Amino acid sequence: MSETKKPLTIEEKLALTKFTTDQNYAHITIKPEICKANCKTFDCVYGCPADCYKFAEGEDIEGPVIFDYVACLECSSCRIVCPHGNVEWQYPKGGYGVEYKLS
Amino acid sequence: MSSDYDFDVAIIGAGPAGLAAALTLAKAGVETVVLERGQFPGAKNVSGTGLYGPVLNNLIPNYWEDQESFERFLTTKKITMLSDNKSMTIDVDIQDFKEPPYNGITVLRPKFDRWLAKKAEEAGAMILPDSVVDDFIWEDKQICGVKSGEEELRTKIVIIAEGSNHLLVEKAKLGHVPKPRHHAVGMKETYELSDEQMEQRFSLIGDEGCSNEILGYTKGIPGGGFFYTNKNTLSFGLILNLKSLTKKKLKAPEVMEHFKTHPYVQKLLQDAEMVEYSAHTIPEGGFKDMSKLFGNGVLVVGDAAGLVLNAGLYIEGMNFALESGRIAGEATKLILESGDFSSESTKIYLEKIKKSFVYQDMKTFKKAAKFLENERIFTHYPDLITSLMDKLLRNSGKPRKRIVTTAIKHILKEGKLLKLFKDAIGGLRSI
Repeated sequence: MSETKKPLTIEEKLALTKFTTDQNYAHITIKPEICKANCKTFDCVYGCPADCYKFAEGEDIEGPVIFDYVACLECSSCRIVCPHGNVEWQYPKGGYGVEYKLS
Repeated sequence: MSSDYDFDVAIIGAGPAGLAAALTLAKAGVETVVLERGQFPGAKNVSGTGLYGPVLNNLIPNYWEDQESFERFLTTKKITMLSDNKSMTIDVDIQDFKEPPYNGITVLRPKFDRWLAKKAEEAGAMILPDSVVDDFIWEDKQICGVKSGEEELRTKIVIIAEGSNHLLVEKAKLGHVPKPRHHAVGMKETYELSDEQMEQRFSLIGDEGCSNEILGYTKGIPGGGFFYTNKNTLSFGLILNLKSLTKKKLKAPEVMEHFKTHPYVQKLLQDAEMVEYSAHTIPEGGFKDMSKLFGNGVLVVGDAAGLVLNAGLYIEGMNFALESGRIAGEATKLILESGDFSSESTKIYLEKIKKSFVYQDMKTFKKAAKFLENERIFTHYPDLITSLMDKLLRNSGKPRKRIVTTAIKHILKEGKLLKLFKDAIGGLRSI
């Protein structure tokens, strides 16, 4: 077997996929105060295949989880796993979001 | 009710289910519009890539004459079990599957869905990309059209084919927010691999193709990996049950990377360049988790209706989508002729689908979904079988025992007999 290539990081993998980001509209919103008050399991962090949900670090943060919709693959895992119904998921506007070519 | 309709039928989603319905309706001369939220049909769609030929041939006779319709003809099926550093594969090659209408084909969705959309367009359907349906037009508890941004389209019937994330099914009050135990997340990586390399790695000649389902090495999470061979690309993916994944506090992409460290997977991906990463959820709740299939002025098809089957050997999604879409198209034609668009009339779709293999298979394997929630199947048994093979094959310099004796001893020692027996019965009942 020839030398094994270094595995791609999730960021490198996502860089292979085409996204057209809608700067004016986040198709997913979460209410940090609900995460802060109710969540102990953080299922969104584990269920997301694109690492869009991360544990918040440092002070001056609204809630325990930080979410960024930019590299969202629109899979809907977060909406399904959130036990608090706190993932408000709408379709991105027409023409925006992920655009697969070879999947 | 107003008699001014923009179209007879609006279909939400240009995937296999929506397009099969559109093609069937357009062929029958029904004015049909398909609203697709993606930049083009297939732009948002992900799947394992295997599709049964006879189902497609039923919709588009002699589909294989169109080079765009398929990647490879599936002649080889491999089922692999993985444990730490061992693997065992059952390799079935059936050359009869190389004859038209071909038992199975591989497809890439952005290409296949566009091809299918072209066929629907040629038959007279209108396909509108970049069109997101936000809501329905309701009149007296009856759906009679769709809203897309500022625009409204009034139609006699709406067919929901939006896929597994069924926001509109919920708005139509035909289904609920999905549950994690009934859903899996599928992650997929597409690799560039030359046809020569592909043919060598998977023992293929010419247009022959291989599908490989892989059990085990998923950190105990129900699910499994897959390889599908295309033309110059290889589809590789991993499917993980969402409840088990989150309960174990493991991140989906990390389980994927762990799975890729297995020598069996590494060898097949060696020197191949990843060209795209994609993911989607899969409804795997089976028969009991289906949405309501019809309502006043509305039908639901494909993944949106939960018409997906995972029964181990049979993994059906796109086939059920194509067939449920085709049946919905036929039913809608009758509904339109009747002039009654209420649920009294739309229930004919349920009656028709009940007679088809889609519904019957969902019913036959209704116990499979629950059985496949059992984590032992995904860790314990691949370990048990591969370690038994290790014991049988390894040369220890000592006299060998009878194969049967070794096997029984091994299973008694490692197998937790009572559970094995229980699981075997459960397995037999579900298949």
